[in-house]
Amino acid sequence: MLTQNKSALVLFALALPLALIAALASGPVSIDLGAALGDGWRSENSDAVILWQLRLPRALLAILVGAALGMGGAAMQGMLRNPLAEPALLGVSSGAALAAILMLYYGFSLPGFWGLAWQSGWLLPALAIVGAFCAVACVWLLAGRGASASRLVLAGVAINAFLSALMALALNYAPSMFAMQEIVFWLLGSLANRGWDQLLLALPFVLIGAVLLFCARNYLRALSLGEASAASLGFRGRRYPLLVLAGIASAVGAAVAVAGTIGFVGLVVPHLVRPLVRQDPGLLLWASALAGALLLLLADIVVINFVGAQELRIGAVTAFIGAPFFFWLIVSARRGQLL
Amino acid sequence: MKEKKHLEASCLKLGLERHGQPVLSEISCTFKPYELTAVVGPNGAGKSSLLQCLAGALKPTSGRIELDGQDAEQVPAARRARLSAFLPQAEVPAWSLSSADLVALGLLPWGRPADREQRVSAALNLVDAQQFADRPVTQLSGGELRRVQLARLLVGEAPLLIADEPTAALDIRHQLQLMQNFRRQADAGKTVVLALHDLSLAARFCDRVLLLQGGQLRAQGTAEDVFTPALIGDVYGVSCEFRWRDGVADFVPLDLL
Repeated sequence: MLTQNKSALVLFALALPLALIAALASGPVSIDLGAALGDGWRSENSDAVILWQLRLPRALLAILVGAALGMGGAAMQGMLRNPLAEPALLGVSSGAALAAILMLYYGFSLPGFWGLAWQSGWLLPALAIVGAFCAVACVWLLAGRGASASRLVLAGVAINAFLSALMALALNYAPSMFAMQEIVFWLLGSLANRGWDQLLLALPFVLIGAVLLFCARNYLRALSLGEASAASLGFRGRRYPLLVLAGIASAVGAAVAVAGTIGFVGLVVPHLVRPLVRQDPGLLLWASALAGALLLLLADIVVINFVGAQELRIGAVTAFIGAPFFFWLIVSARRGQLL
Repeated sequence: MKEKKHLEASCLKLGLERHGQPVLSEISCTFKPYELTAVVGPNGAGKSSLLQCLAGALKPTSGRIELDGQDAEQVPAARRARLSAFLPQAEVPAWSLSSADLVALGLLPWGRPADREQRVSAALNLVDAQQFADRPVTQLSGGELRRVQLARLLVGEAPLLIADEPTAALDIRHQLQLMQNFRRQADAGKTVVLALHDLSLAARFCDRVLLLQGGQLRAQGTAEDVFTPALIGDVYGVSCEFRWRDGVADFVPLDLL
């Protein structure tokens, strides 16, 4: 059983570079991958520019965002001891989304430096990260001292509802159809037209989030026994929940900020890989990051290769790829094998 | 894993309030190495709260707990976890870990000792649970799960062991085995504190009994001192008979008072 599980994880790890190559080879124009790679990233050959400036950052961003969402979902489920939890519950996504919407509204009319910052494409994600942190801070403050998991969820639901209402209001009063469309597309999530700027902006936050969650891995393990037992095992006080929340806000906030809200990954990926790590909430963080990265990269390959008038929304594709796995998982749980 | 082998824990005028209601008030007592102490009392007497304070899972609102004379609040959480191990009354595992993996969580305060697997299987052996080492804990019966959780409590090296109603849900064989286990732990120098409802087991295996009522310490001493028909009748509201037969305590509740 254990070796079988390990080989599944190794398979995931091997599939990732293959998927990366597939992603680099996909696109509306076919390029000579080997030659473009050989030209180096400074080259001004059109093939090299397409590879180094368009496809590579997009593929790497898919990996980064997928990993952040998977890891955030695993941390969230571990902390709340609940397999139905997902990072969006804490208001991370809606906080980032609301900040992004406000930017989409007013971004064009910003003067001077800020206008330039907007045009260069990093102001929106930067503010979205700030929005994510603000939302999580509100949830934390609302839940109050020594909050139990259920109180945290309730506070998250309340903040989420409020932020969603604000977003609906923003859609209501959208200045133009164009702005409305921008907002809706952003809310659906996408990796199109993202470049190195977004990747480099999100990367440090995702890494910080990963480090914070790494420090909390034993807390998540101890929590599988419950809060009182975790406290008696040395994980007392506000420090550890705060560590997890900050980790989720940082990693998932950055992911949402650059790619919009992509559902499904944070909720379902931890389920898919939990049996592969013997249900260990600590190892699950990294296994979910790996599986999330792979899932999002595969989904993006489908998006790129889909020929149609409109680009497919990546959130829909992740669900299309991931849901059948989930069906299979539920059916095998019915037979009493897993879960 | 060089740690203290013996630990004396004391409660000094310990008080706890919850939602403005006093749960524990002015409890002073000492738990010594080589001693097996039973905390008994009716439902709601504050047994679990006392144990949770002692284990560091609850913070007392007044008074303090001392571990070998040092204020327990000043002891860093990670160190305190190596001093005391605690099994709460209801511990529901969130994930279907295998029994062996659940037991291994009891070693978290010690990092990853090299002899982890031997320790885990020895602890599972102690509670007669080695045969479900690889089984997911969600597939165990209530009593089997309880035994695995007890192995989690016993797997570490903490000199102070605290268990809240460890015998609940166990069949008579495993109740007996468990109490003999705790007796051996105490004889080896550990300080053992158990909340118990079974007064016969408490009298038979424990050196000392604390009787709680309404958050107050009503009496403490040996079972003979505490389990008098008058006191038990007053605290529990039942008439009872209590006698020793060949060194085995026999407690018979007779009727409601």
